[in-house]
Amino acid sequence: MPSSNMQPKIRIDNLHVVYPGRRGEQVEAVGGVTLDITDGELVCIVGPSGCGKTTLLRVLADLEQPTSGAIQMLQSNPERPLKGTVFQGAGIFPWMTVEQNVAYGLKLRGVPPVERTATARHWIGEIGLERFAQAYPAQLSGGMQQRVGLARAFAFDPEVLLMDEPFGALDAQTRLLLQQTLLQQWERRTKTVVFVTHSIEEALTLGDRVCVMSARPGRLLHEVSVPFARPRDAIALRTDPRFSTLFAEIWDVLRDEVDRARADEVAG
Amino acid sequence: MNHNRWLSLLSPLVLVGLWELAVQLGWLNRVFFPPPSEVFQTLSQLIGSGQIFRDAGISLLRVGLGFLLGGIPAVILGLLMGVNPVVRALVQPLAAAIYPIPKIALLPLIIVTLGLGEVSKVTTIAVSVFFLVVLNVASSVLQVDPRYFEVARSFGARRRDLFWTVALPASLPGIMTSIKLGMGFALTLIVGVEFVGAENGIGWLIWQSYELYAIDRMIAGLVVVALIGWLITVALDELEYLLVPWQAASVRVRERRMREHVRLWWPTIRPWSYTAAIIPVLLGASIAAYDGAIDWWRLFLTIVGSISIQLGTNLVNEYYDDRKGIDKVQVFGIGGAIQRGELAAWQVLAAGLAAFAVGSLIGLYLVSVTGPFIFWLGLFSVATGFFYTAGPLALAYIGLGEIAVFIFMGPVIVIGSYYVQAEKLSLPAVLASLPVGFLVAAILHANNLRDLDIDRQFGKRTLATLLGRGRANIEYYVLVGGTYVSLIVTVLLGVAPWLTLITLVTLPAAIRLMRIVAAETEPHALQPVLRQTAKLHMRFGSLLICGWVFAWLIDALGYL
Ligand SMILES: Nc1ncnc2c1ncn2[C@@H]1O[C@H](COP(=O)(O)OP(=O)(O)OP(=O)(O)O)[C@@H](O)[C@H]1O
Ligand SMILES: [Mg+2]
Repeated sequence: MPSSNMQPKIRIDNLHVVYPGRRGEQVEAVGGVTLDITDGELVCIVGPSGCGKTTLLRVLADLEQPTSGAIQMLQSNPERPLKGTVFQGAGIFPWMTVEQNVAYGLKLRGVPPVERTATARHWIGEIGLERFAQAYPAQLSGGMQQRVGLARAFAFDPEVLLMDEPFGALDAQTRLLLQQTLLQQWERRTKTVVFVTHSIEEALTLGDRVCVMSARPGRLLHEVSVPFARPRDAIALRTDPRFSTLFAEIWDVLRDEVDRARADEVAG
Repeated sequence: MNHNRWLSLLSPLVLVGLWELAVQLGWLNRVFFPPPSEVFQTLSQLIGSGQIFRDAGISLLRVGLGFLLGGIPAVILGLLMGVNPVVRALVQPLAAAIYPIPKIALLPLIIVTLGLGEVSKVTTIAVSVFFLVVLNVASSVLQVDPRYFEVARSFGARRRDLFWTVALPASLPGIMTSIKLGMGFALTLIVGVEFVGAENGIGWLIWQSYELYAIDRMIAGLVVVALIGWLITVALDELEYLLVPWQAASVRVRERRMREHVRLWWPTIRPWSYTAAIIPVLLGASIAAYDGAIDWWRLFLTIVGSISIQLGTNLVNEYYDDRKGIDKVQVFGIGGAIQRGELAAWQVLAAGLAAFAVGSLIGLYLVSVTGPFIFWLGLFSVATGFFYTAGPLALAYIGLGEIAVFIFMGPVIVIGSYYVQAEKLSLPAVLASLPVGFLVAAILHANNLRDLDIDRQFGKRTLATLLGRGRANIEYYVLVGGTYVSLIVTVLLGVAPWLTLITLVTLPAAIRLMRIVAAETEPHALQPVLRQTAKLHMRFGSLLICGWVFAWLIDALGYL
């Protein structure tokens, strides 16, 4: 549901991020990314490991300052939080129970206890962890912890959802179920999603658009508009001939970049 | 790691045992090294007079006050240092400079300024705790993974939220650790502080004992300090589970492991075998009661000690049976957990030795209150228990099992238990113990009868394999029959009260058992005989004890 406002929801303008390296040299993680994302769009970003995807999301989440360039994000509803993040590797708090973790963002927003517990319970149910609501993260598997991180972001219900490989550590079935949950939530509540993933299939299944990043320093190399009608059926999609065409198109670009990134890493 | 825990339990116990032995044998000078039994005696005097409670209480009060006065501001300031670079810059250099000074060195300075009273003692502890805790708390806040702060900020956390929802909870485990460290520190200090110009407290007790050259009292004081330290550690661990429940999540796993341990150990400790250890103790005590001497505390200790020795025997037995490969094909194998790989051989051996050590400790206490007779009796028993299946001349493997069991699970325990109560020997008690000895030997023999063929195959020499099936059966009749004959003889001699004849109600059951033994050779058919003989021992023993107790009560009423 694109908004009537012609301005993009997120505008990334020639963004550069440079880290100080170990030996005083400069590590350019993001090397000039320009990207506009419209309101309600689901954009997937793929790219070789270490190409700056996480860095890009961190800048969007205000956790990192751009070295040069700018980002802009429009808030349309002051009642709703502007952005929420699902971190690579969950980032849930070990000292809180699953329920407290999921309710965390709501608590900071001042949602009254009864209401936030109900919301947290709902999302814990959606990710299938009812039995673990009162458990501590140490008692959960890696995949379960990742689902808690997801529920926490959904419960927070931001306008822009920044997701960094949120389904990375999940088995195939859970991954499918949660992709479904994400799509439902995205369709129900107007929400702009920036979704980083390693999986081309996942990007094609979920995204309106797939952006392919180059090896470090990360730039946008290629963009694919995904033509499949919504609501999508993740299984039926795979048999669509356009799916394999697009997969091959993205893979061609990505393969060269992965090779380059490998060579870079070996060179040190 | 488990390995080490066992060893750490074992080594002090063994040390205490060796110490006692060395003194009893005259290798160590009693004046410089009072034996553990003497220290126990001193300690019980200190407990009896209430002095130890007064001194320990005052020391604890000083530690507690000093700890609160130093610890609470330290935690608060440490947290502030952790989250605020300005506070850190102000406090860190000063605290770091004072931290390494041994705080006991400050005592003279504090005494000069604050005098010799309570204030200076409490202050010394407070100051030392403060500097230790403040730095540790600050560093545990600084060590919180910065990712958590980022997560919190991405959900809109303000500075205040960052402190209460991230910095504080994330550093709680570290804070708990520094509190434990601080408490350990305070305990070390209190003793030193009380050496100087105190009129009471546990440190004073130790110092005064030194001045009086009362080394037993000095050691008793040290034991109390160790005990207090241990109790506080346990209490702080509990506090940690309350404050840091997310780490205690692993506690639940630990509990599950506990249950698993019980499941594994239960058959190995042979729980049904303990009536054999308890009944003779109770018999000895009831005979002593009949003779007019009964001390319930000593009775309780004797029972616990006897169970420990039995436990030790069972475990060491299990260990050596495994070593010798005896149980490999045991059909009804008691235990066998080592063969099944459920328990490591060393675990079983270590637990057995630890049980012996506990039994020995209790024995030492009883020695300290009743004299050396129990010492020699106990040493003899432990040695027999150990060499029952261990060592080159394992009694159980050279056909002496029944005789050893007869003597030690019968007369020896009864006499020991009697002696602990009455502090004298008595021939009637020896005679009255014979029926129990016969029956307990019958239990072992029933086991050997059942396993006769298997044992022979594996070359395990028991009296049964040496005698052969026919004569082994006669041995069973002799043991069971001997029970009743010896009982009737003691009654006829006027040694045992006629009320003990109440045990004759078990005679039909005994005859039934002898019939089965005469008719059967199959292990499966003989299995119930083993169980029933053990039951007979329990029923007969209980009735015998009842007989003595009733006779005692009737006598006691007669005096009224
Ligand atoms: N704090 C930092 N200091 C220095 N270099 C950094 C820092 N964070 C990231 N980098 C470097 O920046 C580059 C991009 O990192 P980033 O985490 O954004 O990669 P990514 O695309 O998310 O990789 P992956 O797919 O493996 O998660 C990497 O080469 C990394 O080594
Ligand atoms: Mg990443």
